[in-house]
Amino acid sequence: MTPRQTRVIGFVAFAAFVAFVAVLPSFISDFKAQQYAYVGIYLIALLGLNILTGYTGQISLGHGAFMAIGGYTSAILMAGNEQFGGSVGGGLQDVWTIPFAGLVAGLVGLAFGLPALRLSGLYLALATFAIAVALPSTVKRFDEFTGGGSGINLFGIDELTGSLSGEVDILGRTLTYNDWLYYLSWSIALVAFAGAWLILRGRTGRAFRAVRDSETAALSSGVSLARYKTLAFGISAAYAGVAGGLYAIANTFVNPDTFPVALSIFLLIGIVVGGLGGLSGLVFGAIFVYFLPLWAQGQDLGSVLPDRIIEETQRPGGPAIVYGVVLILLMFLIPNGVGGIFRRVGQLIARRRYSRTE
Amino acid sequence: MRRQRTTLAAYAISGLIALVALPAALAGASADPGVSSSTILLGGTSPLTGPAAQYASVARGAKAYFDSVNAKGGVAKRKIEYEIVDDAYNPAQSIQATRQLVEQEGVFAVFNSLGTDQNLAVRDYLNQRKVPQLFVASGATTWGTDAATYPWTIGFQPSYQAEGLIYGRYVARTMKRAKIGVLFQNDDYGKDLLLGLKRGLAGSGSKVTAAVPYEVTAADVGSQVARLKAAGVNVFAIFATPKFAIQSYVYANRLRWRPAIINNTVSAATNVMLLASEGGNNKAVEGTITLNFLKDPTNPLYRNDPAMKQYRAIMARYAKGANANDVYHVYGMAVAYETVSLLKRVGANATRVRLMAAARSITSPSNPFVLPGIGVKTGKGDGFPIQQVQMQRWRKGKWVPFGGLWASKNY
Amino acid sequence: MVVAAFADFMQQVVSGLASGGVYALLALALVIIHRSTGVINFAQGEMATLSTYVAWALITHHGWRYWPAFVATIAISFLGGVATHRAVIRPVERGSVLRIVIVTIGLLIAINGFVVWEWGGEPQALRSPFGTDTYDIGGVIVSAHDIGTIAVALGIVLILWALFQFTKVGLAIRAAAVNPEEARLVGVRVTWMLALGWGLAATLGAVAGMMTAPTVGLDPQMMQAVLIYAFAAAVLGGIDSPAGAVVGGLLLGVLLNMLSYLTQYRLFDWFSEELRLPMALLVILVVLLVKPSGLFGRPEVKRV
Repeated sequence: MTPRQTRVIGFVAFAAFVAFVAVLPSFISDFKAQQYAYVGIYLIALLGLNILTGYTGQISLGHGAFMAIGGYTSAILMAGNEQFGGSVGGGLQDVWTIPFAGLVAGLVGLAFGLPALRLSGLYLALATFAIAVALPSTVKRFDEFTGGGSGINLFGIDELTGSLSGEVDILGRTLTYNDWLYYLSWSIALVAFAGAWLILRGRTGRAFRAVRDSETAALSSGVSLARYKTLAFGISAAYAGVAGGLYAIANTFVNPDTFPVALSIFLLIGIVVGGLGGLSGLVFGAIFVYFLPLWAQGQDLGSVLPDRIIEETQRPGGPAIVYGVVLILLMFLIPNGVGGIFRRVGQLIARRRYSRTE
Repeated sequence: MRRQRTTLAAYAISGLIALVALPAALAGASADPGVSSSTILLGGTSPLTGPAAQYASVARGAKAYFDSVNAKGGVAKRKIEYEIVDDAYNPAQSIQATRQLVEQEGVFAVFNSLGTDQNLAVRDYLNQRKVPQLFVASGATTWGTDAATYPWTIGFQPSYQAEGLIYGRYVARTMKRAKIGVLFQNDDYGKDLLLGLKRGLAGSGSKVTAAVPYEVTAADVGSQVARLKAAGVNVFAIFATPKFAIQSYVYANRLRWRPAIINNTVSAATNVMLLASEGGNNKAVEGTITLNFLKDPTNPLYRNDPAMKQYRAIMARYAKGANANDVYHVYGMAVAYETVSLLKRVGANATRVRLMAAARSITSPSNPFVLPGIGVKTGKGDGFPIQQVQMQRWRKGKWVPFGGLWASKNY
Repeated sequence: MVVAAFADFMQQVVSGLASGGVYALLALALVIIHRSTGVINFAQGEMATLSTYVAWALITHHGWRYWPAFVATIAISFLGGVATHRAVIRPVERGSVLRIVIVTIGLLIAINGFVVWEWGGEPQALRSPFGTDTYDIGGVIVSAHDIGTIAVALGIVLILWALFQFTKVGLAIRAAAVNPEEARLVGVRVTWMLALGWGLAATLGAVAGMMTAPTVGLDPQMMQAVLIYAFAAAVLGGIDSPAGAVVGGLLLGVLLNMLSYLTQYRLFDWFSEELRLPMALLVILVVLLVKPSGLFGRPEVKRV
């Protein structure tokens, strides 16, 4: 298949996907729309992490921290910190805080990208892990700014669209609150998706891939390691920040415990399961991140598995065992993630087509 | 050969993912508010995993009690279903789980959800939707005092501030110029206890001269205990959860430190104290003071108490494998008992409005799981169901009550 | 006055050495695994917790006495470590770093879940084999358990060192770790040596867990914070240096206690206990930025 054919197929697939996303809420329950809103939020974060880890090969176990930065930025811009005696007023409508969430997180990411240059592979993983672990305590320390352990409650404030009334009027239609969250997250997610695709197909993307495949080779062909590695950190952090801002909006609440270490770990799991270095599989990665813990608890699956099994796995600890084992099995069976499967399927189709023309 | 296997696996996995994801994607649910002619659906979040997993027994005890009531026909001809969802003590998960209970499972009321931050995170949402947030399992003061702003929310246990206040008053009354050192968990729970303590001491010659926090996620509190000893206090107040309370005793003993010790209710269950006494080798536990309002299953005083016998029977039958010595199960049964009596009062016409009205007008004759003499009552201006607490002292391996009941309203 | 202050100071040093001993053991386990298989085992803490629960179950449910249970646990942990390597790690060893990381994370989650599933989440007691006695040495009060911990930690380290230095097996493991291809050429069963490395690491973890439980209480989360301190210690000492891990662990334990001790002085009173863990992590970050190979490690040279 020519690159042109691949690209056309890609466009068509993307358009179909956009259409699917647009009409899905009409077919699912109101609550499921909210669940899929979270899937969209995770997708944004995964797109960002994928740029960093899938494309430049820098492992981050701390992207939850960037989400936290975005989330807190949004929350503070909305509610201010007068709740706890501060002097910062809020007043920015939720939607407009999202670009700021991305910006602040992105800047921090850039700042982190520079010292990160000195670290590679597992050392970087450890360093980012350290940041994720340290974040909750550090947030609590600066409690005049962040609300400390109790966090910032956003429910019902004017700046949070629709939370009080349960309905949102937009473009002449009335949406339920859950549908509003869904469309908000997914419109941003689709834009983010397209943005990632654009970044990655161009020179920047090639430079990223060069860095991942061989740093020495990249260097010798003139790719500035420092610039691209740092850029990757900044972009991925910005994505995570946007996701974090949306996360704060969807939860109507931020506090240090809403961004635990587990979040960073789940994001990493999401891109590996979704498929590093590709984009399409990430949707499945996001679904996995959000739904597997629920499925492991036997929820949403009640009709599929027999009761006896559900009982045993619902004993506390059972869901975690299921989750861990599933994860390990996935690493054995689909090392390249769902995206890898897509690529394989694509290759198989391509091979069949070619062999027929012979 | 290897490639074929991977391909096969690839197809199988895609198929599996599609098969599982699709029904999950399309399954819908109606918004039924949890009452049918044969069932009432309650739901709540509980830390089944994570740093607070030991409190999962609160939910389990309640469930066991409901199961025993159902076996006898239920309440007003309805069986009580109680869905417990894990939130791993993470408020973001509590929010998502609670929304699921309300919007997808369609519960009648959110019941017995555990944790201060976890419940604060969902309080606005539940009140906006007029869903009862019944018997919050947390001692934050706000559950009782903010009924006007949040009419759908009510707690159960005495507030931590009230508890701290009583300790303060007790010290003020019985010791002159005491210097108190406090180890407290660095969240609302610990801070409320500390605040109450300071208020109780106000105006007396005794004061808190050292207060050292620790994080829920801390590994151990050894250096905190060492600091308190070095600060020269003669009263050590442990405002910590069981794991860290036990550590406090272990470290105090290792440092040969023998202050008068106050241990908070959350960590004063008999089985916890026995662990802390290290098989009798740790004498630091002797003389510890605490407050309590529940009957303790391992206290020999209640061995022949009919309610405790019933408790053990229910645990054996409906909570197989659970540790019946864990007093948090008793707490769960106590709230479940109150809930059943609310449902009885509400009767056949079960609406959320009537449930909350009943919850705000409790005049329970007695709750069998609560210590004798302690009343369960709510009314205008009184949002804390448990009315009194009993002071106890640890002597030779068990709690001995003394001094009568203290009113535990928040002053 | 000065004597009292000095006694307090030494108090913190001694308890710092004891907690540092535990960090050292776990850090050593991490280093052994990293040196032999190039993997950072995120599940090391949970494996240690599991081992400790096994010991506890033998003692409380099956009535074993302490030291027989200790030895049995070590044996079981060794086998468990070997089995884990062969079953779970070996299939993905050759793949990308990320894949292995995810596998160890999956192990972490599954093992933690299993512990809760089997024994519940409430704290349990594992009594110290050294008893609860304390000794007064010149104003410094030292507990028998702390002394025992330090002794056991050093003892195990020495035994391991002797194993690596003086036995054929030890030599084989080191060879397999440093240069697998050449080791194979001289007849070393490399895969088994790597598995042995995992077995040894598991036993170190088991000892670390059994020494920690009497002090902090046995519960499923017991080793999680310790693992992070162990990472800090391993990085501080040099992620491929066993000696570094031990020194790093002891140093970190004492250092953190020193900070606690110094908070009574105005200069340091910003160090509230909330910052204990972040301080350890700051150590990781600073070392990684200044000298990534740690105190004892050799800088990595990239081959083109």
